[in-house]
Amino acid sequence: MIEVKNLVRTFKSGDRNIKPVNDVSFELEQGTLASIVGKSGSGKSTLLSLLGALDKPTSGDVVVNGVSLASMPDGKLTKYRRRDIGFVFQQFALIPNLSAVDNVMLPMEFAGVRKAARAERARQLLEQVQLDPDKHVRRINRLSGGEQQRVAIARALANEPKLILADEPTGNLDEQTGEHIIELLSTLSRDHNTTILVVTHDRALANKTDRRFRLQQGRLTEEPARNRATAAVTG
Amino acid sequence: MSVLARSVGNAFRNKVRTAAVVAVLAVAIGLALAMLVANQAVTGKVAELNASVGTVLTVNPAGGQGFEGGGEPLTSAQAATAAAVPNVSSVVGTKALRLRNAAEIAAGAASGRTGQGGPGGQSATSVTTSLKAAVDAGTLGNRNQAASGTSGTGTTGSTTAAAPAFSLPITATGIGAEVDSTGKGLQLTQGTGLGNYTAASTGALLGTTLAEKNGLNVGSKFTIQDQTFTVKGLFDAGTAFGNNALYVTLPTAQTLAALPGELSTMIVTVNSMENVDAAKAALQAALGSGKADVTQGQRNLQTAVSSLDSVKNISFIAFVAALGTAGLIILLIMVMLVRERRREIGVLKAIGAPNRTIGLQFVLEALVLVALGSVVGAAVASFASGGIASALISSSSSTTATGQRGGTGGFPGGGFPGGQGGPLGGASQLLTSVTASASPGVIAAGIAAVFGVAIIGALVPALLTARIRPIEVLRGE
Ligand SMILES: Nc1ncnc2c1ncn2[C@@H]1O[C@H](COP(=O)(O)OP(=O)(O)O)[C@@H](O)[C@H]1O
Ligand SMILES: [Mg+2]
Repeated sequence: MIEVKNLVRTFKSGDRNIKPVNDVSFELEQGTLASIVGKSGSGKSTLLSLLGALDKPTSGDVVVNGVSLASMPDGKLTKYRRRDIGFVFQQFALIPNLSAVDNVMLPMEFAGVRKAARAERARQLLEQVQLDPDKHVRRINRLSGGEQQRVAIARALANEPKLILADEPTGNLDEQTGEHIIELLSTLSRDHNTTILVVTHDRALANKTDRRFRLQQGRLTEEPARNRATAAVTG
Repeated sequence: MSVLARSVGNAFRNKVRTAAVVAVLAVAIGLALAMLVANQAVTGKVAELNASVGTVLTVNPAGGQGFEGGGEPLTSAQAATAAAVPNVSSVVGTKALRLRNAAEIAAGAASGRTGQGGPGGQSATSVTTSLKAAVDAGTLGNRNQAASGTSGTGTTGSTTAAAPAFSLPITATGIGAEVDSTGKGLQLTQGTGLGNYTAASTGALLGTTLAEKNGLNVGSKFTIQDQTFTVKGLFDAGTAFGNNALYVTLPTAQTLAALPGELSTMIVTVNSMENVDAAKAALQAALGSGKADVTQGQRNLQTAVSSLDSVKNISFIAFVAALGTAGLIILLIMVMLVRERRREIGVLKAIGAPNRTIGLQFVLEALVLVALGSVVGAAVASFASGGIASALISSSSSTTATGQRGGTGGFPGGGFPGGQGGPLGGASQLLTSVTASASPGVIAAGIAAVFGVAIIGALVPALLTARIRPIEVLRGE
């Protein structure tokens, strides 16, 4: 369960303030698959960075399973990012001189998973996101955008986080692979009780989520709920 | 993939830059190691010179030296006076005797050759012994003998034509402590010392060649003035002249010479190098200039030592500077790398890397670079250190050469070309010892210092990574 309370993030741009996140409040039950849509520059990435504890809000708070991020010291926030959050970055944010497998293994290394176990899990995750086995050991900067995006998704799943924050996870994928990724996320939320918040431009993806939010100039509104099963039929 | 593996990988990310950094580091590290090697060698040599001769003063009777010259002999009372001079740490009296083989004296007398006691001097009377000298007279000895034969005793007779083999006297010295005639500790190769050197005893220490020539060993007996002595130990003075000698205790020598309380020489040790000049003047004043000559036998070495001291200081400063440069190079390179990988550090933080893991990764990366630099640098140093040390020392020894006199002067047989140090004394010996002492131990210590400095240099940028915020992951998107 994640509670977002009156979240504000202000940036100084020249002599005026901009508020990409302006008094945002909502709650998500554990296991919910939710989507956020909104125009470019509306504050979607900024909101995700606050939820993922990459950045600190100007005011307001995020409460995860009863624990407030605002009250956590930096060391605890690091642990929160490592264990509770899986982040899929819009620009992938992979380490370019490491192989796909090594990138997926990194969060597990930080979490103290034994070497053999992390290699095995990394291989499974890369298979789940349908990366060619012969590309598992290829360096990131020798992979295409779509391939890198799938490695980024695999990395986000590495430590089996409770909350996955995905920023345009299908933006670089062809329709078929995109469908597959949506299925994967859907399965995770349903079968593993993982809460997933996806930022997307993809109507098809948004329509398949339990809850849909729209962000406009830093303000969040929720769109009418749709039945997930219905969405799957009509989508 | 471990932190270390990532660090090694990162160190080679930009191969051209890595090569350049390693090359620059190698120069700094190589220079530091070469300077350390030079410094160690010179420090060792300076300590050795200081310990052996640098603080020793020799007191001879005014107007006399060894068996040459005239004047009044030194006395035990003067030794007490010398001991009371400030900064004097010890005074050792010696009494020198010349021993002649009894059989040869008899033969010489028969052929009309007398007066082998040498010219004037303090022990005109020969002391007889059963020992044979270990050194053959040779050309030099015979020439000296010819000269002394005419001027010293005025006996008639064809000195050069006199056929019976003339042999050199043996130097016997009564010593008040276990030191040789220049004040250096005796190098005993066998047996023990004489115990109490200030009491009469029938023990003696023989030079190795003298003992060998006479077939003597520890425990063997021989005679001086028909008195039986026992060999208590053998010593190696390092020179043929020095080994054709024996030592007895001071009172024994005084008794043999029938001159109790009389000294040939006093060996005065000053407590430190810096006090030598002041102590020398004070000693001269205390003893009276008409009564005693105070000399610093190793004056030339003192000059060499002081110039070597400056080489030591220069090389140490250069070592520290080169070490500091290596540290600075690491610091700047790592600061640059941290700035360059700002976003990547943000990525690591965003996926939950603890600060210490990231810091460690950068320190290890720096150490990889330093390790490579050290390997190349040590190779450079092992080729360059000999040359650098030689260059430093030869430039300093050429400035001191003018102040150096030949020989070490002083003791019995000062006129002998005994080989106790050539005109360049310590400095030329030093060259060989410097090149020889580029030991693995010193190199290892130097590399340890380099790593220490590198860790300090890398720590600053590594700590800077802690300040980078995870949100950097979004920068540039
Ligand atoms: N660190 C920052 N400093 C100043 N302005 C920022 C910063 N980060 C984001 N912004 C601004 O906030 C607004 C929202 O950005 P973002 O959250 O990335 O939008 P979106 O992901 O919806 O396209 C943009 O106008 C952007 O320029
Ligand atoms: Mg965005």
